[in-house]
Formats: sequence, C-alpha cells, structure tokens
Amino acid sequence: MNFSRGLAAAACVLALAPAALPPYAMTLLTEALILGLFAMSLDLMVGYTRLLSFGHAAAYGLGAYACGNLLLHTGMPLLFAVPLAALFSGIVAIGVAWVCTLASGVSFSMLTLAFAQLFYAVAFKWSAVTGASDGLAGIPRSPGPFGITVFAGKAGFYYLVLACLIGSLLFCRVLVHSPFGEVLRGIRENEAKTLSLGYNTRRYKIAVVAIAFAFGGLAGALYAPFAGFANTELLFWLFSGQVLIMVIVGGAGTLIGPIIGAAFFMLVSNLLSSWTDSWAAFFGLIFIGFVLFAPQGIWGLLSGIGRAKGRERVRWRFLKSMS
Amino acid sequence: MALLEIDELTRRFGGIIAVDRVSMRVEAGEVRAVIGPNGAGKSTLFNLITGVVKASDGRVRFDGTTLTGQTPYSISQHGISRTFQITALFPEMTARENARLAAQARHARRWQPYGGSTVFGDAGRRGDVALERLGLTHVAHRPAGLLSHGDQRLLEVAMALAQQPRLLLLDEPTQGLSVEETAQAVDTLAALLADKAMTVLLVEHDMEVVFRLAHMITVLHRGAVIADGVPDAVRADIEVQRAYLGGLA
Repeated sequence: MNFSRGLAAAACVLALAPAALPPYAMTLLTEALILGLFAMSLDLMVGYTRLLSFGHAAAYGLGAYACGNLLLHTGMPLLFAVPLAALFSGIVAIGVAWVCTLASGVSFSMLTLAFAQLFYAVAFKWSAVTGASDGLAGIPRSPGPFGITVFAGKAGFYYLVLACLIGSLLFCRVLVHSPFGEVLRGIRENEAKTLSLGYNTRRYKIAVVAIAFAFGGLAGALYAPFAGFANTELLFWLFSGQVLIMVIVGGAGTLIGPIIGAAFFMLVSNLLSSWTDSWAAFFGLIFIGFVLFAPQGIWGLLSGIGRAKGRERVRWRFLKSMS
Repeated sequence: MALLEIDELTRRFGGIIAVDRVSMRVEAGEVRAVIGPNGAGKSTLFNLITGVVKASDGRVRFDGTTLTGQTPYSISQHGISRTFQITALFPEMTARENARLAAQARHARRWQPYGGSTVFGDAGRRGDVALERLGLTHVAHRPAGLLSHGDQRLLEVAMALAQQPRLLLLDEPTQGLSVEETAQAVDTLAALLADKAMTVLLVEHDMEVVFRLAHMITVLHRGAVIADGVPDAVRADIEVQRAYLGGLA
C-alpha cells in the first residue's frame, strides 16, 4: 500500500536523523514532531468532524502540567507519566466537550476558547500545582522502569517522540477509516441528517473531542520533559490559534498534512525570526495565501488529490464551518 | 392497534398554533398522505413525530411506545426513517456511501472505532439493494452533491429504505421535480409500495401523486384535521374543495 510504504520511508529517514543532524537541529526537529502530534490531534476535530476548536491549547497545557507534576513530585518514570498525563487530558476533555457540544458552529468554537482561557486563568492563580506565572521548572526525564535511562538523552528522547507520533498517526488513521470515522464524516457533512438517521451525534462529538484531547495531551506531556518546564503560555489562546494555522496550512482532514504544517511552521518561524522581529506578520501573510489560493494545504498540493475539485471542496467546507 | 397513534398533538410557536390537536391512526401496511395548503402544519407534524420539534401538548405512540419527548436519534432507532422536504444528503460522499451510512445506523456495531470490514460489508449490501430498488445503481459511484435533483430526491428515499424502516415518512418526495421526473419518481415509488410491506406517511402537494400512491388521506388546514378517509371520500369532501383543491388556488 502507498501509505504504509511512504510512512516506512519517512520513519527510516527520521530514525537516521540523530546520526546526521547537529544538536541544535535535533532540538528543533524534536519540537517539530511534538507540535506535529499536537496539530494532528486537532485535525480529528477540525478536518474530520468540522468541530472548529479555538482552544486546543487546553489539551496541550493539561498534558504538560499533568506530566510535569507527575515527574516533579511522584518520581514516576517518564514512560508511565507521559501516557498517564495524556489520559488525564482526555478524561478532562469529556467534561469540556459535554458543555461545548451543547452549542454548535461558532458558539461551539467560542466555548472551546472560553474553556482554554479558563484553564489559563486557573494556571495563573493555582501556584501550588502550576507554579503560577513562574511555571514548573526543572522537570526531569525520570528513568525506569527496570532502570531504563535511554530516554533521558537527546537522541533517546527523540526516538520516544518519534514512536509516539507514528503510533498516534496509525491509531488515528484506523479510527478515521472505521465505522466510527464514517459517522464523523457524516457529522462533518450534514449533522442534522446524521442525527435523523439514528446516530447520537453529540456522543460521537464528545468522543472525538476526548480522543483529540488525549493525543493533544500526549504532545503536551512530551513537551514538558523535553523543554524541562511548563508555563501558562502553553494554555494561551495564541497557541490555540497557531496550531489551527498549522492544521490549515498543512492540509485539514489528512492527518499527515497537519504534521507537515507544524514542521513548516517551525521551519519558517525560525528562519523568519532570524531576519525580523515581526516574523508573525509574515507568517500571517503566508497563512492568508494558503486560505485563499491553496485551502487544501501543503499536503493537498503535494499529493494533488483532485486539484480544482479538492480546492473547491475544502474551501466550501471551511466557509460552511464559519457560517 | 394501529402502528402509529397520534393523540391531540399540538405545537404552538409563540402565539401561532402550527399543529392544533391533531389525532390520527396509521395502520401497519397503510400508505397515508397528509395534504393541505402551505402553512397547514404538515412539515411541523413530521418534525413532531421525529422529535426534531418538541410537542406543546399531546402524544405520539409507535407500536405501543410513547415517542413524545424522545430525541430524534432514539425515535429513529425504533424503526422510523424519514426524508426531508429540502434534500438532506452527504454531498461529498458517493451515493453508495450515503446509502451505506444510512444502513450502518441500524448495525449493532455502528460505532466500532477500528476495522469495519464486517460493518461496512453488511451495511454496504443493504445500501446497494436500496439503490437498486430506486434505480440508482448506475450513479452509485458519483458524489451525491453532483447528482441531478431528481436522483438526489430518490437517493434520500433509498437511504431511508436502506434502514429497512417499519415506518417511512416521506416529506414531499417530488418537490422541485419536472413533470417527467415526477412521473418517473411516482412509478418508482408505486412499485416500491405495491407489496404493502411498509407503512408510509406521505406529505405531498401534487394531488395526482397523492391519489396514485395513498390508501388513506388526512387533510390539514391551519394546523387542524378537517377531513380524513379514503381518497374518493376525501376528493368528494366539500370542505376540502373549499380549503384546498379550489378555494385557495
């Protein structure tokens, strides 16, 4: 199959990276993969279910703070803390989604934003757990179980991130092609009809938000020991906007596109910021260019799926999602 | 006992009474048409039965179960399928995928988050049978959004059929069709309903269509039932003549 061959090739190239790249580039690449995982998780909502979230940073922040606290205060091994933090994010998301799905369309998006800002405000005040404005610092990559220390090193941690990304991609791919995924597609195209056919659409939406938050939380949980810190910026609305841009620039509804979009965002923001302080303005122009001229995103352009038709389709989808 | 029993069903929108103490019985195997001028409350009646709109008063019972107060999806799961007055499809999916997703809603493992060859296989077969019965096999591979309006109307019926409903609600199946398309669609529907295996409630404007398909007719006017009976009796009913066939034209 085309997909598995492509994925195997990409995995091989990425697996060789630590041997070829200098340490600074490795740091950037690791962060790009973490952001890629984060953007991919949002794609389940935005691209596959047309649930436009303006507050996906909440997933990342929840995962990062949960993982940070586990590693700082319990001495739990990295390998256990990371999935546990992801699970925590997913469970919290059930409550968040229960409230947000009371509304739909723009109101849904506003509620997601409100929740993210609520978590942001809580993180700012609850210094015992979040360290308030200082954040959590010195988050260790605790060894174990059985004295496994390989993930503490730069290359080892990179491989952990790579494995998480590939595993998550495969999981999500199976999900979107399953009967469950087909119902999400129905909700994306015509929710009222899906409901009328006998699907409890709200339950499906809550489930997909929880799954998206679990994987977004996994990304955040990896980020905390990667950077060694977690602060309130991880919950800020600006970050929610950036990850949405990564999804759209990369190509919504493709899973792989948002990963590429995240890498593109990292690359361009690093290049631009070495030229100018107002790099964000330039990236804004790039974003506008994509929305207007290539709404199918980078991956859509690369794979050339039904050029003109795909363009119309995706543009239509986003216009509809905004209305 | 009738399959569908509607008792004193009422819906008020502000000061307007859209459906006014409507009572009706639909026997199993019956094709009943609900007719009436624009604004008579026909579509609101459908929305009340399917739970899209909540009743202000009164009750709907289906095979002994009270539907009033239930959600649209749970009402649907009792074996009630509907089509919409304004075509409601999944435009980017092919006709086959549309029918398959409709059939999947009746599968025990419709939510399965992995694999799916069994679910898709079962649902796909049911969907294909429904497409064939409506003569849509030749367009099964095309995106629903690109089908002709006539085929889109039929596809909605096919989706409802793929669910193998015990009660089928058709909301103006020939709405927006040309004269030839209407004739074709009515032939297809008549063949479909000929074996009396299905109970059908039909909202329709076109009187030719109604008299061709329906065994029983209920006439609504300003939200209330003003006549109810076999087609010939209703046709003769003077009140109907005044309210619908001639009076308001």
